[in-house]
Amino acid sequence: MIDAMKGTKRYRLGMRAVAALFLAMIFVVAAPTSRAEDSPRAKALSKKVMCMCGGCNDTAGTCNHTGGAFSGPCDTAKAMQKEVAQRVDRGDSDDLMLQSFVQEYGPTVLPDPPKKGFTWLVWIAPVVAPLLALLLIWEVVRRWRRRVALAPAGGPPISAELLDRARREVDKDSDE
Amino acid sequence: MDIFGSFALLLAFLVTVYAFVAGIVGIVTRRTLVTKSARNAGMAVFGLITLAVASLEYFFFTDNFSLAYVAAHSNHALPLYYKFSALWAGQEGSLLWWSWLLSIYVFLALFLNRKKHPELMPYVGVTLAGVQTFFLVLNNFVASPFHVIASADSAGVMHMAKLSEGSGLNPLLQYPEMVIHPPMLYLGYTGFTIPFAFAMAALLGRYPGEKWIHITRRWTMVAWCFQGIGVLLGAHWAYAVLGWGGYWAWDPVENAALLPWITGTAFLHSVMMQEKRGMMKVWNVWLVFVTFMLCILGTSLTRTGIVSSVHAFAESSIGGWFFGFLGIVLVVCLAAWYKNRDYLRSDNQLDSLVSRESSFLFNNLILLAACFAVLWGTLFPVLSEWVTGSKISVGPPFFNKVNVPIALFLLFLTGVGPLLAWRKTSVDALRRNFAWPLVGGLIAGAAGFAFGFRSFYPLVCLILSVFVTLTIFSEFYRGARVIASRDSSNLITAVGELTMRNTRRYGGYVVHFAMVLIFVGIAGSAFNQDIQKELNVGQSLTIGPYTILCQNFDQPSNDNYQSDRATLEVFRNGRSEMMLYPERRLFLASQVTETIVANESTPVHDLYVVYAGRSPDTNLPVIHAYLNPLVKWIWFGGIVLVLGTVLAMIPNRRAAIVLRAATESSWGEAMAQGASGSPATSPARSAPIRRSDSND
Repeated sequence: MIDAMKGTKRYRLGMRAVAALFLAMIFVVAAPTSRAEDSPRAKALSKKVMCMCGGCNDTAGTCNHTGGAFSGPCDTAKAMQKEVAQRVDRGDSDDLMLQSFVQEYGPTVLPDPPKKGFTWLVWIAPVVAPLLALLLIWEVVRRWRRRVALAPAGGPPISAELLDRARREVDKDSDE
Repeated sequence: MDIFGSFALLLAFLVTVYAFVAGIVGIVTRRTLVTKSARNAGMAVFGLITLAVASLEYFFFTDNFSLAYVAAHSNHALPLYYKFSALWAGQEGSLLWWSWLLSIYVFLALFLNRKKHPELMPYVGVTLAGVQTFFLVLNNFVASPFHVIASADSAGVMHMAKLSEGSGLNPLLQYPEMVIHPPMLYLGYTGFTIPFAFAMAALLGRYPGEKWIHITRRWTMVAWCFQGIGVLLGAHWAYAVLGWGGYWAWDPVENAALLPWITGTAFLHSVMMQEKRGMMKVWNVWLVFVTFMLCILGTSLTRTGIVSSVHAFAESSIGGWFFGFLGIVLVVCLAAWYKNRDYLRSDNQLDSLVSRESSFLFNNLILLAACFAVLWGTLFPVLSEWVTGSKISVGPPFFNKVNVPIALFLLFLTGVGPLLAWRKTSVDALRRNFAWPLVGGLIAGAAGFAFGFRSFYPLVCLILSVFVTLTIFSEFYRGARVIASRDSSNLITAVGELTMRNTRRYGGYVVHFAMVLIFVGIAGSAFNQDIQKELNVGQSLTIGPYTILCQNFDQPSNDNYQSDRATLEVFRNGRSEMMLYPERRLFLASQVTETIVANESTPVHDLYVVYAGRSPDTNLPVIHAYLNPLVKWIWFGGIVLVLGTVLAMIPNRRAAIVLRAATESSWGEAMAQGASGSPATSPARSAPIRRSDSND
């Protein structure tokens, strides 16, 4: 029966109607709601895990790298964004979520290295190093100022004539 | 032709080795002829590498795919200018490009100084030849771009083969900025070799005084400016092409390009201490050493992929060579400094903590702190893996947290430093110079707060930007007012006159102003908004003041690519403002996707719209819209930065007059004698008398 109807005009119309209905259903189901990945919390959290594709140094939320090309989040990042969104929907706490990511991918998934153990150094060094440098500068400045009292300042063993000539040449060569 | 190119390259290697060895022999035996011969050899290298580069370009332009490098980075259809830029699309060509740019600098440095500085130039030649030798070793023996494609016949005998078509250039590199971004950056990287060589020469030759700094000031500024342009162009390319709404991701290679620029900035400031006050000699020598080493490190990070990065196009075993070279450079620097450290003693002392001198100390401290923080974060994953065996990531949040406060402090110093006097600044002068700018900054801050600026850093940035801008403008104004009243000219003419009389100082202010513009642009990112939504025809999304309505989506494809495109109408306050066509192309040959961003850029904000692909569930197009405030200020700041740098390189108007007078009259001789004085005999002497820029 159906075979017999195949190819007739009515059949084709009917099929078109079914297809149209089907398409309409898709559009109804897929009404342009914002995706779960776009909720503010999911977005913030996706920036707290690194994209694990291995080809970039970005967080899953800011990845801009599709396997060798550089456009938009790569598949790894997209999957991770989705996972974050699912966990947000499920109501997981931030800590729990990050912990389970660490279990799944290892500690490299955290863009901020943990502030303990060896990796504590990454945080402390940019603070301590300038402070040490400041101490050093302090010491240098102290010496510079102390030198006022010293006479003579123990100039380097350069002949007056050579220094004279050097300075004359500087004046000759430079025009500022 | 391939034999011609590789032969020229080999010859270049031999000649540069000769320049190195003969240079040393000339210095040791003090034979002028040998020294001259070494210098000529150093200049000849430029010609030979030029031949090699020309030969490789010939292969690209004639679509001769018998070279593996050409076959891998070009094809028949590639437009002519991209065939030219394909030269540096890969590892081997990039290194050849490095070598060639370096040889240009070497040629110019040796040629322009051929009749000057007889005590310095032999050492300069040897140092430059040493660096050039390293790169020519790579070009010839490690990563030669002249490898031919060979295939074995049935008898197993190898024959040269020629492919009929190459694999083409990565479409992402087919963008106008990609033709100029790498050369700019490489001109920066290679350019710092010149001040490095002069510093090394002054140290090895125990050449007293500040001569090497005078000679290299413009060279350093050229390299610094190219490096800055290179970094900004890279950021702009990332923003315009990559389609992720940002321009800086703290990627290791971005960081690597930033590092020598930061230390170069520190160097450009601290040399003034040596010029004016004979202080910080050791520091300056080391700053330029470190800058050069960071250039080599930067190149190696780009080329070796030791730290995972989107830029590491080719991972290879070349890293060992780079780190070996870095080791040698470090040892040579340490040895040269240790042996000759007596010659770097300071001539002067610090008179007051509130002085230009101490502001330079702070400037250098902060710049170096920024440099250290970036370097530390970039290399820490490698260090951590090496020490603990476990990998960790150091992502963008780390760099932002650490660098934002450092950068803001630097901005503060930009305003304060130039207004402090050399030696000592009185409380009165402080009040006079800073009261109004400070009040202006605070008023701007209060206004910002009233208008809803509540985040801490952007608010601080606003206050400081206004403060620094006012200090800069007040400097111009006060100077110009004096000239205007004396010459009874108008203020605008007076500003021009003032600037041209001391280009270095006022060019420097223009650069500072450029930095303010860039800071404002970056601070805008604190207020970025974005929204991503599936849009069917007739549906819309809203971001900031804009409503974006999807009119249509289609697939305008051709032989080269398949495309997905959306036609969007943008409304503001109910009025139709513009049409945007974001697109996503899949290049068929390379299977690479490229985003064509639709960006409507204004000084207030960029409406940056990306076609993010199709939703896998509904097959509807996903539109990602960003509203990025003030981004344009960054690019505009870049232009101002270049203008300021060029201005600072122009000779002073009055200096030219003084020079002319000096050569023409006996008064000039008297001046010259007065300037040289008898400095070495007077321990507590003040800074040697300099000409017109003594107040900058």
